[in-house]
Amino acid sequence: MDLGEFQIPGNSDPNQKTSHLSLDIGGSLIKLVYFSTNDGDNDDELGSSGNESVGVSNGSRSYPVLKGRLHFSKFETRKINDCLDFIQTKRLHLGGCQRLGALPIEKTIIKATGGGAYKYADLFKEKLDICLDKEDEMDCLVAGANFLLKAVHQEAFTYLDGKKEFVQIDQNDLYPYLLVNIGSGVSMIKVEGDGKFERVSGTNVGGGTFWGLGRLLTKCKSFDELLELSQQGNNRVIDMLVGDIYGGTDYSKVGLSSTTIASSFGKAISDKKELQDYQPEDIARSLLRMISNNIGQIAYLNALRFGLKRIFFGGFFIRGHAYTMDTIAVGVDFWSKGEAKAMFLRHEGFLGALGAFMSYEKHGLDDLKVHRLMQKFPMSSLVGDKICSPLNGELNENESIECSVYAS
Amino acid sequence: MANLTEDPVLEINRIKVKEEDTNLAIDNKVVVREEGQGERDMSPPGGNSIHRSGSRPQLDLSKAAIEGNFEEKDPIILLPNQSDDISHLAVDLGGSLIKLVYVSRHEDRSSNDKRKKTLKERLGISNGSRRSYPILGGRLHFVKFETNKINECLDFISSKQLHRGGMDSRWDSELPANNNAVIKATGGGAYKFADLFKERLGVSLDKEDEMDCLVAGANFLLKAIRHEAFTHMEGQKEFVQIDHNDLFPYLLVNIGSGVSMIKVDGDGKFQRVSGTNVGGGTYWGLGRLLTKCKSFDELLELSQRGDNRTIDMLVGDIYGGMDYSKIGLSASTIASSFGKAISENKELEDYRPEDISLSLLRMISYNIGQISYLNALRFGLKRIFFGGFFIRGHAYTMDTISFAVQFWSKGEAQAMFLRHEGFLGALGAFMSYEKHGLDDLMVHQLVERFPMGAPYTGGKIHGPPLGDLNEKISWMEKFVRKGNEITAPVPMAPTGTTGLGGFEVPSSKGETLRSDASALNIGVLHLVPTLEVFPLLADPKTYEPNTIDLADPSELEYWFTVLSEHLPDLVDKAVASEGGTEDAKRRGHAFARAFSAHLARLMEEPAAYGKLGLANLLELREECLREFHFVDAYRSIKQRENEASLAVLPDLLMELDSMSEETRLLTLIEGVLAANIFDWGSRACVDLYHKGTIIEIYRMSRNKMQRPWRVDDFDVFKERMFGSGDRKPPPHRRALLFVDNSGADIVLGMLPLARELLRRGTEVVLVANSLPALNDVTAMELPDIVAEAAKHCDILRRAAEAGGLLVDAMINTLDGSKENSSSVPLMVVENGCGSPCIDLRQVSSELAAAAKDADLIILEGMGRSLHTNYNARFKCDALKLAMVKNQRLAEKLIKGNIYDCVCRYEPAS
Repeated sequence: MDLGEFQIPGNSDPNQKTSHLSLDIGGSLIKLVYFSTNDGDNDDELGSSGNESVGVSNGSRSYPVLKGRLHFSKFETRKINDCLDFIQTKRLHLGGCQRLGALPIEKTIIKATGGGAYKYADLFKEKLDICLDKEDEMDCLVAGANFLLKAVHQEAFTYLDGKKEFVQIDQNDLYPYLLVNIGSGVSMIKVEGDGKFERVSGTNVGGGTFWGLGRLLTKCKSFDELLELSQQGNNRVIDMLVGDIYGGTDYSKVGLSSTTIASSFGKAISDKKELQDYQPEDIARSLLRMISNNIGQIAYLNALRFGLKRIFFGGFFIRGHAYTMDTIAVGVDFWSKGEAKAMFLRHEGFLGALGAFMSYEKHGLDDLKVHRLMQKFPMSSLVGDKICSPLNGELNENESIECSVYAS
Repeated sequence: MANLTEDPVLEINRIKVKEEDTNLAIDNKVVVREEGQGERDMSPPGGNSIHRSGSRPQLDLSKAAIEGNFEEKDPIILLPNQSDDISHLAVDLGGSLIKLVYVSRHEDRSSNDKRKKTLKERLGISNGSRRSYPILGGRLHFVKFETNKINECLDFISSKQLHRGGMDSRWDSELPANNNAVIKATGGGAYKFADLFKERLGVSLDKEDEMDCLVAGANFLLKAIRHEAFTHMEGQKEFVQIDHNDLFPYLLVNIGSGVSMIKVDGDGKFQRVSGTNVGGGTYWGLGRLLTKCKSFDELLELSQRGDNRTIDMLVGDIYGGMDYSKIGLSASTIASSFGKAISENKELEDYRPEDISLSLLRMISYNIGQISYLNALRFGLKRIFFGGFFIRGHAYTMDTISFAVQFWSKGEAQAMFLRHEGFLGALGAFMSYEKHGLDDLMVHQLVERFPMGAPYTGGKIHGPPLGDLNEKISWMEKFVRKGNEITAPVPMAPTGTTGLGGFEVPSSKGETLRSDASALNIGVLHLVPTLEVFPLLADPKTYEPNTIDLADPSELEYWFTVLSEHLPDLVDKAVASEGGTEDAKRRGHAFARAFSAHLARLMEEPAAYGKLGLANLLELREECLREFHFVDAYRSIKQRENEASLAVLPDLLMELDSMSEETRLLTLIEGVLAANIFDWGSRACVDLYHKGTIIEIYRMSRNKMQRPWRVDDFDVFKERMFGSGDRKPPPHRRALLFVDNSGADIVLGMLPLARELLRRGTEVVLVANSLPALNDVTAMELPDIVAEAAKHCDILRRAAEAGGLLVDAMINTLDGSKENSSSVPLMVVENGCGSPCIDLRQVSSELAAAAKDADLIILEGMGRSLHTNYNARFKCDALKLAMVKNQRLAEKLIKGNIYDCVCRYEPAS
């Protein structure tokens, strides 16, 4: 669909190993972005022979270039060992161009962001003998978002009433925008340009709240299971609606329709029903609506405050989940009276990891946009549809972006 | 306290601090009527009839006596508790609480008192025409019931006949029970319980719009009550005085089941601009599912002992204990509410309900604070008032909301809370009556009183209403044990274990915080339309009566100790003043318990009754005495002292008359200061009584007056009186003398000074208390004293005649009428209060009228010139005279010692 063929220049300095893996270790999920060569299977060791090197003239210098793909993977943070195993078996930490058997003596450095970059630094050192080079979370988020919005065709889309609509962003009219990253918590960042941004707000009611409260209330075993449940739920069983208070009529005087939620979980105050008397589906639905709606509202209020017309929502909470996006979008639409639009990013979960990837000194991705603008590597060159689930827009685990990196 | 042990005299002196008071709690009256027994307690002593002025909430005792007589004639009136002319009742029927607001009317009984009549003519007050009062005096009561005990509420309404309000409540036999009685109601229950009200009480509920009511209630409170709003940060309350002209616009955030955010631009001008569905219902609903709590309050209570760090994911949890300082997030900031609950190792039952409750509370409060701030910002509103049932005076909730507002606004916006927050809706419904009479009320016409039950119930009614004094005493006795519990705060987890992150919390004051510690008590609001702002205040807006700020904990503790230690002695006096009967003893004990409970409550939560100054504290004590029908605890002492002093007055006057004018002025001022030592309660004073006569003590004290006094502006005052060189300034036109104690203080101190002013052609108005407070002389007692003094002095006699005092005191003047015109008058006005201190924002209309022509004010005594008004500035000349009979106050205020004197003169500003 929207995979671009990217050419990423490699690093010409033989003493500096450019790793082609970066990490975003969040409170609940670990996100990985890594590069693999074009014809190598994912299971192949990176940098194995057979890569075709293409020299690309880039300004005054010329670098060997590896054609390949950017891969996106995620793990639950509490299952960090799975992640370590994954890295180990794929030998991702050995850098993009390490030849088999040519392990470096010097320390391997991997760019990482997210709180876990601090928390798990020792673990990475111990298990994989690699140093995590900590990149600032916000820097990474913004860099990732800017890259995606500029370089990837059909990255942003709106979602309303179950309809997904891709939005073509004019690169020259991208800034300023509000980036809302919904991880465990929520950060709201006003972005005014490359590297120019400010965290203006946030909320502690985020993905972690959904999953944490949801677990306690429903005994779901995973975040995805909880999301799945919510699809089948009916929040009216638990939420107190305006109509419940006003005897089924609207409180039209203040513009509230009878189906507006007056109080999330407000019906649960009834002493006739206990937790086990409610359907987990309904609970999940109520919770999802409460949190999505709240984020949408706070995001809108912040956008309004700074006069920002575009709000991009990213982060792992969303997961391309239709109802989540719908609720957020409705929230923004409701509070802004249609003035503001909520937009989502296809690679929403990987902003941080992508940003970390881009923080390698010579990652070559910066140049990509140049290529794209020159339409040397048109974004529309599709690579089949194995990647995306068109129904909910979720980024498939196996999705990758074709690109090239500098060979080192 | 160090001072006490060092100086035994001190103890006594402190006692002298007197209290202001005025009103008798409403129930007293009820008692009397019901049982007809009250007359005995109340009948004024020794034929010294107690005049009621109509200008201030009354001691209801006299009325009771009268009605006792009526009872025989007209038994119909004797329905229990029907003593008050109830005019209106409004209810807010919420999901968990029912709030009632009702007014009990009090007739404005014009006194037939001749002194008053003369005074009114002289001052140009004509009862009805000078000013027509929009409403009669009354009392606004705030009462709440739990909704699940709605029958108690109905019983209460029924027994007090509140639903008959506004109609002739005597006898409705001609009307069927289901006549068109209508009660204004708001809240969801107005629909739900309509039938029940109809059935039980025969009244219809007239449903008022919720938002309209909220806004009307909030506007009224913010305009009519001086320190209604307060901020709450880190467990500390601070009352905020809102300038009524600068109230609008503001954001009103009502946190009910859901949350409404209303931009208020004026009376009836508002718009719901936002809201959130994450509100009180969410807290209670989710909380119930997660903790199995049985009630909202239980859930709140749980949160007190919670530690949200076990459930919330903090920035430190993500960053391995480090701050994310780059964007200003500390390690303890909550990154994700309930974020730790994603762990696989723990299930719901593995978490403490306490922790869950706190985590939930903080999540919701913080979220509301944040969204409120964003909306305030959007409309440029600086003030955000939070109300609604979710808050309930709960410290963590308020702290969390405040923190959020402050955090996000970087201190630009302020979260404020309302003392009457639970009653916004009910008040608003009340205001929706066509003629509720509250519109025109001004802030100075409201006096809040805290009846005896306040420390225990916080206004929540349990069980049937208390009918009479006897029931009240029993109730007090019953709750003694409760009272002990109340004084001992519930132990809490020490600060620091309670979590608290970015939305960081609340180490509330001290190490402990009890759930209801922050719950504010709501008193009965007395509506006194005759009260006025003293017109001579230079700047009424900035005027603050209290010199001592009890917000200072050491100050608070000191005064509480003083009052507590004095209590047994006061009880003895009070019991003795009522004849020492068994009944009096029982009432005395009940008073002691009630007042101790007030003190304990205030010690624990100084803001419980609103902004607390020393004057308020002293007044509370007098109120409490009156509540238990102690009309005048110092009655006999005052009488004795007056008699003794009057006996030596002629000698003193003779001595004074032998002096030159200038020497005399100094001697008179010395005399006032010296006589001010006759403070009841001063043990030194009592000892002196045994050693010599009053005149000897007075002379001794006067001789000790070594100028310069600690504060000594006498020379400036003298120059104003006599001028310098040839320049002779004109005498003052009229002087207001705010008098203090009975006995030597008034007779040997202030009266001679008044006489001197009269002699110079200055009209003199003696300003005295409306109701007794300690041994302060009252306006009712003054005419008799003046009459007695006038027997020995022509100047006083003629002036008193001119002022109509002698007629009042039933003195036969043989030749008075001709001379009257030749003398300037000596008059007496009541100040409108019953406290040893005076708040000049709320004085009687007759004092206000007398002040119009005055160009000199003399404030005498500690209560009126030091504890209060020491820093007050006036439009006319002002002289403040007092002997400091308290070491601590002496050090604090004038950097001096006990018995130092203050003679502060400030020319008109």
